Amino acid sequence: MPTRSSPARLRLSIALLWAIAAGSALAQPRPGTADWQFGAVLDLTHTSRELAVGTRDAGLQLGHSDLTASGPLGSALRAQLTATFETHEGKLERGIEEAWLETTRLPAGLTLRAGRFASQVGYLNAQHPHADDFVERPLLYRGFFGGHWTDDGLRLNWTAPTPMYLMFGFEALRGKRLVEETAEPVGGLGITTLVAKMGADIGRSHSWQLGLSHIRSRREAAVEPEHHDDEEAGHDDDEDDHADEHAHGHHGAQFSGRRTWMVDATWKWAPEGNNRERQLRVSLEWARISGLNRHADAGDRHQAHALSVVWRWRADWEVGARADWLRVRMPHEEHFHGARLSEHALMVAWKPGHMQSLRLQLSRQRNGAAFDDAAKRALQLQYVLAFGAHGAHSF
Amino acid sequence: MVRTASEVAGRSAGLRASGPGRRPLVKGLQHAGRRIRPGLLALLAAVLPSLSSAFTVFACEPEWAALTRVLLPTARLHVATHAGQDPHHIEARPALIAQVRNADLVACTGASLESGWLPTLQERAGNPKAREVFFAADHVRLIDPQPGAIGTPWAGDVHAEGNPHLHLDPHRLLLVLAALAERLGQELPAERGAIAQRRTDFEKRWREHIAGWERLAQPLRGKPVAAQHSSFGYLWPWLGMRQTADLEPRPGMAPTPGHLQRLLDGLRAAPPLAVVVTTYQDARAGRWLAGQLGPAVPLLVLPATVGEQAAADGLVEWMNALLASLLKAARP
Repeated sequence: MPTRSSPARLRLSIALLWAIAAGSALAQPRPGTADWQFGAVLDLTHTSRELAVGTRDAGLQLGHSDLTASGPLGSALRAQLTATFETHEGKLERGIEEAWLETTRLPAGLTLRAGRFASQVGYLNAQHPHADDFVERPLLYRGFFGGHWTDDGLRLNWTAPTPMYLMFGFEALRGKRLVEETAEPVGGLGITTLVAKMGADIGRSHSWQLGLSHIRSRREAAVEPEHHDDEEAGHDDDEDDHADEHAHGHHGAQFSGRRTWMVDATWKWAPEGNNRERQLRVSLEWARISGLNRHADAGDRHQAHALSVVWRWRADWEVGARADWLRVRMPHEEHFHGARLSEHALMVAWKPGHMQSLRLQLSRQRNGAAFDDAAKRALQLQYVLAFGAHGAHSF
Repeated sequence: MVRTASEVAGRSAGLRASGPGRRPLVKGLQHAGRRIRPGLLALLAAVLPSLSSAFTVFACEPEWAALTRVLLPTARLHVATHAGQDPHHIEARPALIAQVRNADLVACTGASLESGWLPTLQERAGNPKAREVFFAADHVRLIDPQPGAIGTPWAGDVHAEGNPHLHLDPHRLLLVLAALAERLGQELPAERGAIAQRRTDFEKRWREHIAGWERLAQPLRGKPVAAQHSSFGYLWPWLGMRQTADLEPRPGMAPTPGHLQRLLDGLRAAPPLAVVVTTYQDARAGRWLAGQLGPAVPLLVLPATVGEQAAADGLVEWMNALLASLLKAARP
């Protein structure tokens, strides 16, 4: 289904949109099936100073905001369409972040999804950024996935019929939204992912989840002549670029390679399982990328990890801390420069009901010698508002 | 359609358990088991498919598990929540996904009570049987519907369909029982007669209890009560009581000092019988309010649902206990 050139991609998006609209109009309302739901999320953030490898501009910014429609198509399919809006350096950017169809009636625990969607690698990627516990995603996601990686392709998941949660997933994706510019033209499905997840409860108060992800990419990133880490480097609007969204700035990964391994572990504790009133959430993610490009040897690897701890001490208040580290080899022509960056963040959030949250976050970056824009300190104030149907969240 | 699917699943489970091809594998496992440590075997048990052929029901709340036990005592039950958990705010935990994956029927309240977690469970479980959810709210008339209400950040957690906490009305519970009996009869035609008989038996006894409770509750008629959220929104009208104050400033928003202070002025003028919170809510706001209103107004922390293992007797005991607490508060 995914195709090489961008006009075809645009046609795909339009075809999906049309299919969703037509399908919802024709779908017979059936008892017991949910109706179509519509929702919007608005993210307003003020940032005192831009962070290196950051996704937020200094000053007031419209962050990752979206309009979402989701619902059944006939009796065997479900669809979702999400349009996003955000400002970047004073300009409004629009995009279609999700446009997919998913089966609901396949037997044996199988689910097939096609279209544009967020890859399920790692712990955070498949989750919507408005549900995040921190204003910025960890360096791991900002450096390796452009913050939040959505792409065009297919996904097949199998949930095992076991007492313990056990899921295996395969995705074949174009990868154009992860590695935007390649050294050589790459057609078709350039990236595949394999994911295994397992998890369970321990007693009433504890629950855990473990994930292992592997990404294989045929898309070798083009090496830009200079300062490829510079967010402000503009691109020519060649016809290979975004046709259905604003062609400005990086959205893909800054650091990529042929093979990526990821491990994620999450543990949550809530007294008697009543997470509304009190909850401790601990999450650890680790990623390593190798096979950086044709000039790299086995020792050239990117690595990142992130540890976050969040404590909800009352129904409407949370406090959290996160530490993340990034160690990369920056490609320059035919050689690499080592670079390191670490970031620590503290946040406090007020959540009166689940339709709004107000968050204050202090971040500090260190060891950013190779990142000339590393911020010593940044203060961020974020207000997230939800309207209409708020989609269900994952663990 | 659902019937066929469950038949096929049942048959394949039978094959897996007793098929001739299974033998060498089982033997091999037993042989290996002598050498492998017990811990590893326990892990193996957790990841091997369950071979139980019992009809498995995933109940979002304990009250629907209890009704299922009344109608089908042989059913295997997974109960997603308990009286100490706020059913609006459950997380789509891995353990629950695994339970939905293995369910033959999912029974929930509906009216958006589970909209924050059930859709994710269905999506992750990949179980077509979990898509045809039995929603109790589809079978009764809900109070306080707000047609056309779209959620805004400042309106709180509004359920356009109406108040979902319908199991606190014993009359409505019988309507749900009838619908659930019908559904279980469709799923298990061989047991249809027995299910209908159990329904009739329970309904007869439950109606006798209702008559008894309504006699007992005479002293509560017309009494005002202050409560947190609309959790007992169906109990008050049934008992002829009135909720004159809600500790939440907006539905689903935690009580704030400012809101409680405003309530206090009104409640001092017309003191309620009691301040009522559920076992899953933080009792601090209620305790403060009751403390301000003086010794004549007690704080009651009441279970909004039955125990997870409850069946017919559990439902009766729960209702008895709710009435006993309220009557104790009403005694001068």
